[in-house]
Amino acid sequence: MDVVVVRSGGLAGLRTEWRVDVGAQPDADEWDGLLRSLPWRTATSTAPTPDRYVYRISCASHEATLGEGQLTGPWRSLVDRVQQTVEPTRRSRPPARPRSR
Amino acid sequence: MPYAIVPPYLLRRVAAAGDHYPTAAAAARRSLRAGAPSEPAPVRPFDPSQSYALPDSPSQPDRRISDAGGTTRLPGRLVRREGERATGDEAVDDAYDGLGDTHRLFDQVYGRDSIDGRGMPLEASVHYGRDYDNAFWDGARMVFGDGDGEVFAGFANSLTVIGHELSHGVVEHTARLRYEYQSGALNEHVADVFGSLVEQYARGQSAETASWLVGAEVFTDAVEGRALRSMLEPGTAYDDDVLGRDPQPAHFDDFIDTDEDNGGVHLNSGIPNRAFALAARAAGGFAWEGVGRVWYDVLVSGELAENAKFAAFADLTIAAAVRRYGVGSAIAAAVRSGWETVGVPVAAAEPAR
Repeated sequence: MDVVVVRSGGLAGLRTEWRVDVGAQPDADEWDGLLRSLPWRTATSTAPTPDRYVYRISCASHEATLGEGQLTGPWRSLVDRVQQTVEPTRRSRPPARPRSR
Repeated sequence: MPYAIVPPYLLRRVAAAGDHYPTAAAAARRSLRAGAPSEPAPVRPFDPSQSYALPDSPSQPDRRISDAGGTTRLPGRLVRREGERATGDEAVDDAYDGLGDTHRLFDQVYGRDSIDGRGMPLEASVHYGRDYDNAFWDGARMVFGDGDGEVFAGFANSLTVIGHELSHGVVEHTARLRYEYQSGALNEHVADVFGSLVEQYARGQSAETASWLVGAEVFTDAVEGRALRSMLEPGTAYDDDVLGRDPQPAHFDDFIDTDEDNGGVHLNSGIPNRAFALAARAAGGFAWEGVGRVWYDVLVSGELAENAKFAAFADLTIAAAVRRYGVGSAIAAAVRSGWETVGVPVAAAEPAR
């Protein structure tokens, strides 16, 4: 099972992605506990703030999009842990999807 | 003004220099009349050979710089207030100077005293977070990270970044463009426009000599790139092993449809950015005059919807150019041509009377 953090926005508009294979971690139980403690259902993004980061966090069927200012408590713990565990990959363009305007 | 720092003799000299600097002269005359409310900039024909506002004419900001000390707690410790001497901390002093330059553009050229037009204090916090690769406007203040030292060298040393952040404040107090999708990209665009104009005004650069770069100072020498963004040539600002390539589109056909970055606000802003830079170069002279005044007019017109899309914004800029400079004017033609070049559909031209 992978946990994926995608950070976008910021003044530079750079996209950075971190991906951790939780099962392959020596402390997989701790990861499981942390992931289970996240309030996935009540996470709703607030009005965006100019030039702050936006985080999309996903794991299995769960996904949450949070502004940088909302990244507190267990969410902050998870993102810190992910960022300390793996090197990020950067892709300046977001993945393509069918156009509709 | 009771707290004026400009000596009256200097104000009188500027007030008398109406031939070359009519706006600055008018502003100086206003300042000489103590307590007089500021008036909107009057309508004048565009003349590329002169600036109506004196680039070194003073304004009266009320600046407050705080030091977050490497934490994410805001505002941090207040370290420099208006009129106080330089601290020796480069980030503090650069932020102080940059806020002054930004205040001067809005005040001297557009007759707007600070973010809210009523002399609101300009507040900034520096040394935010650890290795923090960003700068942002939080609704009350500008916040600057120091960068990680490997890719980003810091943000407070970039005048265009300071102007950009403060302009987000101006947008919040005027058009309130919703910070997502096309209206969000317009919010970003307006912040880039006035961020760039702050630098051009401070350096006395014409549209031809300006770099049209945003954040030319933020990368370390290790990065293959000129800046965060190029308004004139979106998509060409950097091409680096670590950062990848500048993703900004330069044409409406290449609009990026995404939910990330609040709907691609920092990506699709390249399209209107190029329209503005092209219009300013076609008009010639100083971009804070002419096309800059047109964009400011739209921002404060009350006609721009919070959820406006590119096409609606483009139509308003053409209408504002016609209102200020006339139907057959070079400015109106330059603005229209800018939008057409980047593929944003605009309403058919009115016949010249």
